Amino acid sequence: MAVLFAVSVIAGFLGALLGVGGGIFIVPALVLAFHLPIKIAVAASLVSVIATSNAGGSSYVEQHITNLRLGMFLEVATTIGALSGSVLALYLKEWVMLVLFTALLLYMAVSAYVTRYADDRRIAAGGYCQAQADNWSHRLRLNGSYHDHALNRQVDYVVTGSGIGTGIAYLAGMASGLLGVGGGVLKVSAMNRYMNVPMKAAVGTSKMMIGVTAAVGSILFYMAGLIHFFIVAPVALGTTVGATVGTWVMNRLRTVVLKRIFAALMFYLAYGMLAKAVAERFHLILPSLGS
Amino acid sequence: MPETFSEPAARVYAVVYRVLYWGMLISTALFTLGVLRALQHPRMISLGPALSQSLGTTLRGLAALDPASLMLAATVVLILTPVARVVMALLAFWRDGDAGFVAVTGVVLGVIVLTVILGRLGLH
Repeated sequence: MAVLFAVSVIAGFLGALLGVGGGIFIVPALVLAFHLPIKIAVAASLVSVIATSNAGGSSYVEQHITNLRLGMFLEVATTIGALSGSVLALYLKEWVMLVLFTALLLYMAVSAYVTRYADDRRIAAGGYCQAQADNWSHRLRLNGSYHDHALNRQVDYVVTGSGIGTGIAYLAGMASGLLGVGGGVLKVSAMNRYMNVPMKAAVGTSKMMIGVTAAVGSILFYMAGLIHFFIVAPVALGTTVGATVGTWVMNRLRTVVLKRIFAALMFYLAYGMLAKAVAERFHLILPSLGS
Repeated sequence: MPETFSEPAARVYAVVYRVLYWGMLISTALFTLGVLRALQHPRMISLGPALSQSLGTTLRGLAALDPASLMLAATVVLILTPVARVVMALLAFWRDGDAGFVAVTGVVLGVIVLTVILGRLGLH
């Protein structure tokens, strides 16, 4: 249990450094290092996602960085996605889930190389408040505003692209329910890229949303008898501790170096998960990379 | 025009923050106590269907600081925290007469209820 706690602290720490939840590291760690079935690993990871969402999300809500109205609007799609994803997870074979998780890790590895948007320049140019709100955004008053302490100014923004944002939110919810991750990477990039939401507001809103999204999956896994408290407890606690420390350290490290390290780490984990899938499905043992 | 922080909007933020904060605090405290108690009395665990116990057994277990009961309660509090956040937000929107968002949060609650129903039907 102490080892599980220590590994979860590291997973939460690494996740926070990359700006994602710990789930992307927790699931491979439980499967590859502790040899747990992937469904039990996904269930434990989902609960840890709620823990990090409550801890991180409350802080963003307190600072009014979270766009509550936008978050709750998108939660309709993420919760439906999470329900369909977790129902699918209960029926899928282990090796299929391992392959899907490998695909997610590869996507994350590649996206780690994608350059972050020049958010500060866009804010300074007033780009976020000059867009035209779409019909849903206008009707539900999804537009937002927050105070950016780093820039020392109020940032107003007009929410657009509700349709595509809802579609991607559904996919993010599905990934959460199916693979035990928060799906924050998908939601943040959708809000920033297609919905005209500044990065900080997108991160804060996503942090709040992943809690209820993961709760839907957790309820189903709980009722299916897949949540083992002696595994969940050290994982949830460790991830929260690791994420808290990681968030603090993140602001003091160089992003470029971090991204390279994480891309390499995720390729490594992807290979481990794929090797396990091949062993499960075809009884073939691929060369070990030490996992 | 961008959303400004009117009194009702600020009230919803305050309600959501309080629910998340207290949920986090209570579940973390229960998890910590549960893990510490489990470390005092280490035992092997089975990977078969997870433990399920009645409310009465859990309450008695909590009083006796039983690690399984503490962790079960922590997990339930943790899972219910975002659900409680949705319920409280719905009530705050209702109080503010914001029909659009009463409907939006109502749909989210509906999905959660549907999840419980599917779980009860034995979807596994």
